Amino acid sequence: MPQTSSHWLPLALVAVAAMLWRGEGLGARPMHADEANQAVKAGELLESGRYAYDPRDHHGPVLYYAVLPVAWIRGERTLAGLDEVTVRLVPAIAGAACVILLGLLAAPLGRWPSLAAAAFMASSPPALYYSRYFIQETLLVAFTLAAFLCARRWWERGGAAWAAAAGACLGLMLATKESAPVFAACALLALAAAGPLPARPAHARGGLAALACLGAALAVAALFYSSFGSHPAGLRDALGSWRPAAARVLSGDTGHEKPWWYYLRLFAWQRSGGLTFEQAGFGALALAGAGIALSGGPGLLRWAAAYSGLVLLVLSATPYKTPWLAVNLVPGFALLAAGALAALARDRFGAAVAGAAALAVVAMLALQADRAARVYASDPRNPYAYVHSAPDVLKFRPLAEWALARTPGGPVRVISEEYWPLPWYLRGLGNVGYWNSPPEACDGAMVVASADLAGAVRARLHGPYDQAYLGLRPGFVLVVFTPRR
Amino acid sequence: MLRLLTAIIALASVCAVRAEEMVPLKLDLPKPLFVGTPRPIKVSNLEPAQVGTPPPFMVPAGTVLLSLNKPATSSDSSPVIGELTCVTDGDKSGIEGSYVELGPGVQWVQVDLGAPARLAAIAVWHFHAEARVYHAVVVQLSNDPDFKAAVTTVFNNDDTNADGLGKGSDYAYVETYRGRVIDAKGVTARYVRLYSDGNTSDELNHYTEVEVYGRPVN
Repeated sequence: MPQTSSHWLPLALVAVAAMLWRGEGLGARPMHADEANQAVKAGELLESGRYAYDPRDHHGPVLYYAVLPVAWIRGERTLAGLDEVTVRLVPAIAGAACVILLGLLAAPLGRWPSLAAAAFMASSPPALYYSRYFIQETLLVAFTLAAFLCARRWWERGGAAWAAAAGACLGLMLATKESAPVFAACALLALAAAGPLPARPAHARGGLAALACLGAALAVAALFYSSFGSHPAGLRDALGSWRPAAARVLSGDTGHEKPWWYYLRLFAWQRSGGLTFEQAGFGALALAGAGIALSGGPGLLRWAAAYSGLVLLVLSATPYKTPWLAVNLVPGFALLAAGALAALARDRFGAAVAGAAALAVVAMLALQADRAARVYASDPRNPYAYVHSAPDVLKFRPLAEWALARTPGGPVRVISEEYWPLPWYLRGLGNVGYWNSPPEACDGAMVVASADLAGAVRARLHGPYDQAYLGLRPGFVLVVFTPRR
Repeated sequence: MLRLLTAIIALASVCAVRAEEMVPLKLDLPKPLFVGTPRPIKVSNLEPAQVGTPPPFMVPAGTVLLSLNKPATSSDSSPVIGELTCVTDGDKSGIEGSYVELGPGVQWVQVDLGAPARLAAIAVWHFHAEARVYHAVVVQLSNDPDFKAAVTTVFNNDDTNADGLGKGSDYAYVETYRGRVIDAKGVTARYVRLYSDGNTSDELNHYTEVEVYGRPVN
């Protein structure tokens, strides 16, 4: 582990840069439907103090609870007061933590290769994009890396405290997302596949450590799923959630099915609508690292190759695929890429080539990450902007406020087969309702209907209305009716 | 006396126009790029539903395509994707490489016909690979390249005055491979300028093709 400031300072600088990048302009991108849905849930917890785990449509509780301290610090106490910056700061902080944790995890590769691994994580397009996206994935990666680090500390130093810390991280993983056991299992299998482990201290006691680890994991997970004791049924629901979640993911009819090479292409090259997104340099470097690992590289590299290979295999073999799952591949690939650099830097010339390669790959990643997370943040050609809301959704709030000012008391009606993220944007406004099909009474201060339902809705409106088209997301158009004055 | 003479000439011109033989405007339509037809929406100031092939747009006999390969300029001199030549190159396919993508917010493209012409119709295809609606579409004609003098607006569905050219009451419409044919009303002009303010899918502005039909003025 780095001990002196000369070791810590570069890593700290990379982490600070990562945090600034992740925290910049967090409110600019329209809320994705999934973000909005979870932000409303977090806002309800913030406002009422109540949370009940819902195994049908939501992941674990950690994301929502993690919003609370950020909201309190920013002086937000209600759903209406909660904003995009607050909720997105949660994954942003987790994303910066990932950079530090990976830098520490990569330490056995050497001082500069470990820094390169951190820099790859900091500038990775999917890691940056989903560090600014209010979903569970970046938190899951952060807890996973923390668990790996604590487990390694326990292995190197012994002591039940490190085992308990690893268990607590495992508990946080379990309380973040149902897919956590997959990554824990891959890590353990990778240990077996990576070959002989370094020697353990003589005083290390495996039985006690295993108990401490398991106890901490269960305690932490139970605390969150039971809403800190206020909703014990959440524990039962959590235990029963894995089977239906797995069945759904494996069913092949979720609408998110993609070919097996989907994730490989994300780390290679793809072009859509005139825009190219690529990580080919990073992917090639990781592949080189995997080659070195297979030919008997250092233990960490062998483990990273096995772990990455297993995770890639599981994700690729599962029909259900979404781009945010790719974040789980970034740490392993970054370790492999850093390992390739370490292998290259055996003499002065090699070190110069490795340094140049590292800078070039980080620069290319940073360029791509900036395009993905800022320039084309909600563009449908951006592979990370998955079924993303259109910028038009930002117009609904001012339009509703204007409509309610003209017709105090409303109502505002949203009548559409799909309407997220509108409940987020219309939060705090009185008398707003949502329907999946036209109700008997459709009149209101503002009536929003999907293009498919607009004809039926119009037939139930009385008097003249003005209409306008606004987009919910690419290809999904909404019609907005407001009474004509 | 002068007023009387002017009135007689104007009346004669109107009669001449009315007497012109009108023929259907023949458009070379690209292939549809998205499967399925959006369900009709029967609402007052949105595009009425079109079932089957729409009626032909009638133009005076002798009307020709004036804009093919004519120079196009834009408020965005560095398009995000594509070149401004896409606007008048005759490729309406809508696939990658056939359209120019301008930056976010209000943007315009302008076609220079090279000489004033009596314009009958303007056909525009923004982007027809998916169902989307372009906001604040305004089409103006002028003989002034800066559009500061003698500007005629022939289409305006900007109901919020986003473009700053005044509110309009024309229909908003969903893009399809049929494009949108706009009546140029026989206005004599050299320049055609088209505005938009993003669309229902993103904040960008696209032009696959603009076709200007009319007859040269001798």
